[in-house]
Amino acid sequence: MHGVRDRNESAWLIPGDGTRTNHRLRRDMRRFADDDEIDLVIVGCGAGGSVLAQRLARAGWRVAALDAGPFWDPDTDWVSDEAGSHHLYWTDPRVIGGTDPVPLGSNNSGRGVGGSMVHYAGYVPRFHPSDFATLSRDGVGADWPISYPDLRPYYEQIEQELPVAGERWPWGDPHGYPHRPHPVGGNGEIFLRGAASLGIEARVGPVAITNGRFGNRPHCIYRGFCLQGCKVNAKASPLITHIPDALAHGAEIRANAMVTRIEVDERTGRATGVRYITDGAERFQRAAMVAVAGYSIETPRLLLNSASRRFPGGLCNDFDQVGRYLMVQGAPQTAGRFDAEVRMYKAPPPEVSSEEFYETDPGRDYRRGFAIQNVSPLPITWAEHVAAQGHWGRSLREYMSDYVHWACLGALCEFLPQPENRVTLADETDQYGLPVASFSYSQCANDRKLMRAARSVMEDILRAAGADEVITIERYAHLVGGARMAADQQHGVVNGNCRSFAVPNLYITDGSVLPTQGSANPALTIMAIAARAADRLIRDARGGAPDGPGPGD
Amino acid sequence: MSARPGRGAAASWSPGQQTRFPGFDPAAQASHWDGVTAETVLRRLTPPPPKFFTADQAATAEALLDQLLAQESDQKIPLIEMIDARLATGETDGWHYSDMPEDGQAWRGSLAALDADAFSRCGTSFAEAPGIDQMALIQAVQDRGPGDWHGLPAGYVWSLWTRYACTAYYSHPTAWNEIGFPGPAYPRGYKNAGVGKREPFEVADADPGDDPLRGEA
Ligand SMILES: Cc1cc2nc3c(=O)[nH]c(=O)nc-3n(C[C@H](O)[C@H](O)[C@H](O)COP(=O)(O)OP(=O)(O)OC[C@H]3O[C@@H](n4cnc5c(N)ncnc54)[C@H](O)[C@@H]3O)c2cc1C
Ligand code: SF4
Repeated sequence: MHGVRDRNESAWLIPGDGTRTNHRLRRDMRRFADDDEIDLVIVGCGAGGSVLAQRLARAGWRVAALDAGPFWDPDTDWVSDEAGSHHLYWTDPRVIGGTDPVPLGSNNSGRGVGGSMVHYAGYVPRFHPSDFATLSRDGVGADWPISYPDLRPYYEQIEQELPVAGERWPWGDPHGYPHRPHPVGGNGEIFLRGAASLGIEARVGPVAITNGRFGNRPHCIYRGFCLQGCKVNAKASPLITHIPDALAHGAEIRANAMVTRIEVDERTGRATGVRYITDGAERFQRAAMVAVAGYSIETPRLLLNSASRRFPGGLCNDFDQVGRYLMVQGAPQTAGRFDAEVRMYKAPPPEVSSEEFYETDPGRDYRRGFAIQNVSPLPITWAEHVAAQGHWGRSLREYMSDYVHWACLGALCEFLPQPENRVTLADETDQYGLPVASFSYSQCANDRKLMRAARSVMEDILRAAGADEVITIERYAHLVGGARMAADQQHGVVNGNCRSFAVPNLYITDGSVLPTQGSANPALTIMAIAARAADRLIRDARGGAPDGPGPGD
Repeated sequence: MSARPGRGAAASWSPGQQTRFPGFDPAAQASHWDGVTAETVLRRLTPPPPKFFTADQAATAEALLDQLLAQESDQKIPLIEMIDARLATGETDGWHYSDMPEDGQAWRGSLAALDADAFSRCGTSFAEAPGIDQMALIQAVQDRGPGDWHGLPAGYVWSLWTRYACTAYYSHPTAWNEIGFPGPAYPRGYKNAGVGKREPFEVADADPGDDPLRGEA
């Protein structure tokens, strides 16, 4: 594995003795004083925040990353149980509305070091080159200020660091993966069988789950609880892929620290640090640069809650862009019933994908497309699927007793970015007295067509595999957007390097900067964007072509 | 979604029937679970008595939950206690609809509404109403779909009830017996994934053709 370890030693910094956390590394962690003006303070230690922290700490920056949630230890904090994993989710109050309200919490929002990737499924596809210019190619969505080749080297880096297992990928920009594909369980077998008989291309992967040992991270034990946090350290999350290396290079991870406000000096127009609450006390961390990485709901909320005289409508919100163009993927889930036992709870829920329907098909009456993947709901989530068919009482119990016979597919439909799909502040306040986020979501006609098309393809696949009955539930997956990157401040909040247009030393490096979402799960792209932003910052600080003032100026 | 009214009473299946996986008992495997998980799961077997709901509310909630999951008198899973414990500590799902109050208040309000419906239909509280009337009252809420029910969108009330009820029920090891799910899987993991494959500790479905949909046709 020459190369990866030289860049990111995280997997080797984890204990190799069967325990999951390097306690010494955490105990010896560097700690900065609040009034010490550090080079960079990061809000949020998820996909984007952790990669940024690791890259800049390696480059010698003095970095602290604050997270509202705990610094997890998989051995003592996580369980191999569905209901018992509730504490992994962001469950502070939020309000949802619009014509198609999107449930939050477990479905799309994590809290704690590692972010939502602690309980994400682990699919890590790249975006397609077409994703970066849907407006000019397909007349819908938006064009990014960067393009696929800008991200490709970062995709390759992160794929090695996670690392990713999968078959050679024929879609988008064709590429291979560092780890061989995993064997599939019953659910994956059904998908492959159904797709083959219809002539639909499907591939095993790509999943951020080690196949074989990687550093001190062991092989997956196929126990199926990926969405409850991987107690094995086999599934990648920043907690094990980037945070250990960041600590080893002098970064501070300050857990249980809820950032309530970003301060900006009225005179200079520059950010001076962040206010945060920890142990019930309010504190202020000074910093020469601030990066926000709280994900698509909390990042806009923090900006809106940071209103000041200079920014009366919210920080960086001179052009009413903050919170807008928030996206979710339409994620209808179709299950098929087989007389044979499928037992979809075995093996990781992410197994097989098809991106055959990803691009715009001129023969259809909708633009853009969808991907299809295995999903393997555990009993509680499965009960939701069954109850959504209208069952209750005896009929619900009877249906549920049939659990071992069902296989399940999920689609990711590329819902389009729309300005009215947005976060605003509600009247309601949280435990800190701060206004909570209100998230309004409504589908457009194209969205609905995609949802229907995806559903019928999934039903066909399951029937072709031999299902005698199929049932579908309409769901949503993933959040992106809300503080998007754009060519100028009239159309977005940050530029292609994640620097905010309004405040020269304020960056946003998380899922909220994505202008479109493709039909790909977003975590890999979020990490790649953060890695690229980090590279720019490091280059600028060394006196390269400046995108903005770096530390020390 | 394609809600099918009347599903509550329709099935011929009896809740006492646990014969699909004869002898299967995940909790008996607890010695194979890691300590933290075992503690979390086994704690569910003896939840504390309700403290969020008043006695009247708890009675209504218990009757509602027992109907939603077809629970009969003996060997009940303590749904009311589990849900009360969540509401008492504010363990919500992390969101609520803009036209619904937060979960605790929504529970209290919807239980009061259910009692009001029971009084006008039977002259008793919901808990004291005959089972057949309880089922009809519940069915009436489901049938309203997106319509208004006592000032709340009926569909969102339905979602609140079923979400909490299903989460509580299917988190309980006794429920796993009847669905063939082995529960916690760390550190043991699985060695035989694939269609038609089983671990030594899994039990075959004794009635694999018992497709609920097929039975209905
Ligand atoms: C159930 C589920 C399944 C998923 N499956 C996949 C998948 O298979 N593949 C994939 O690519 N993606 C998946 N995702 C999505 C993926 O996890 C997210 O897109 C990604 O983690 C977002 O990265 P982020 O850096 O923007 O935010 P996050 O990773 O969510 O990190 C944000 C962090 O910021 C912290 N924070 C927020 N506000 C504050 C504040 N004010 N002060 C301090 N800290 C704060 C939070 O506690 C959190 O830790 C899934 C998500 C979920 C929940
Ligand atoms: S299935 Fe594998 S990757 Fe998923 S949680 Fe279990 S051990 Fe971890």
